[in-house]
Amino acid sequence: MNTPLRDDDPELRYAEYVLGVLDADARAAVEREMQESDAAAATVAAWHRRLLPLAAEIADREPPMRLWQRIRTELRFDPRDRQPPGFWENVRVWHWLSLGAGAIAVACILALVLIVRQPSAPSVTYMASTLAQQNGNVGWTATMDISNARIIVVPAAPQGLATGRAPELWLIPKGEKPIAVGMIAADAPITLPLGPALLARVGPTAVLAVSVEPPGGSPTGQPTGAVIATGTIASAGSLATSIS
Amino acid sequence: MTAADGMRHTLEDLLARTADRDRRAFAELYRRTCARLFGVCLRMLREREESEEVLQEVFTTVWQRAASFEPARAGALTWLIALTRNKAIDRLRQRRERVLDDPIDLERLPDERLEPATEVESSQDYARLANCLEQLEARQRRSVREAFFSGATYKQLAERCQVPLPTMKSWIRRGLMQLRSCLES
Repeated sequence: MNTPLRDDDPELRYAEYVLGVLDADARAAVEREMQESDAAAATVAAWHRRLLPLAAEIADREPPMRLWQRIRTELRFDPRDRQPPGFWENVRVWHWLSLGAGAIAVACILALVLIVRQPSAPSVTYMASTLAQQNGNVGWTATMDISNARIIVVPAAPQGLATGRAPELWLIPKGEKPIAVGMIAADAPITLPLGPALLARVGPTAVLAVSVEPPGGSPTGQPTGAVIATGTIASAGSLATSIS
Repeated sequence: MTAADGMRHTLEDLLARTADRDRRAFAELYRRTCARLFGVCLRMLREREESEEVLQEVFTTVWQRAASFEPARAGALTWLIALTRNKAIDRLRQRRERVLDDPIDLERLPDERLEPATEVESSQDYARLANCLEQLEARQRRSVREAFFSGATYKQLAERCQVPLPTMKSWIRRGLMQLRSCLES
């Protein structure tokens, strides 16, 4: 413990980098050094070994289930690998639903009703949207399951996505800026949660739109690429009640 | 390590297989470490949505860069936690306008209980670090700990602790250098 304490120790910057006290520029400088110098990388690794055991004091927290799905979607994993397959993840359901492209929205609603319906179920509200592309073809269909605060987006045959780009879904309330709903896929159905801000604005006066974004989503929080599909939202009412 | 642990693949194996594009290994790695890493994100970012985004970034990076893991330099969990902290700190630096956190009085800040909340890669490493932290002067120890768990810059720490910037730098730098010599003794 009697080592001289020198503020100009060359190792300090690496220790400070690992501790996390450097500003963005100083961090970037250390990261450049690590790429150029093996000695710098080794020093940083030594500080990781010294300081990171402290992270053991942080309690584990379970991330939401949907996160794994989001990761798989971003990495474009084959949806057939999914495990464990829940109802909405069951590809056969979606293949079956996709048979009649024009009737997808209705089919989704019926499927939802048949699955969700319970004898004593209170009214369950759904809304649906067909997201059409400029050539008039259906790109995606979306079903909003209001009671469970989620939206299920099923691709039909979307066009216009360049390689390395990903589709992002937006809700555009009348007279307001677009609100990000989440990343969807061109080749697999995706279920996304609807937060309170989205739930409050979903309705016949709002529009859904899909824009082309970098794989992680728009970096700005607003659409940055071309809008390739849009659709109005129709209320599907409380079907569970009316059918049962 | 218990007998049950012996039956499992180590995280190092799982990372190596992830580098070979083994999706099952990647899924197992996620299952085994996501709660650990999400805890780290939440502790630093203190916002659920941002923490989810960072964790997603972490695992997409793991899939793409698992090959850059060098087992000789650090264990797999250390590598994953380092990656997670780096991404969380980058995110913190991007926050431009931030409501200032409540001021902290380092003289009054109680030391948190020094004990692992979770399975650690090596409880021995943790015990040694905790022991060396104990030997630091209280203000040094508290500022090092606060820095580690918050990911705040020197400037932010000085503001929150209401001390001049050079004072904060000196506490932390001396703390770090003493930790090094203590850990190497």
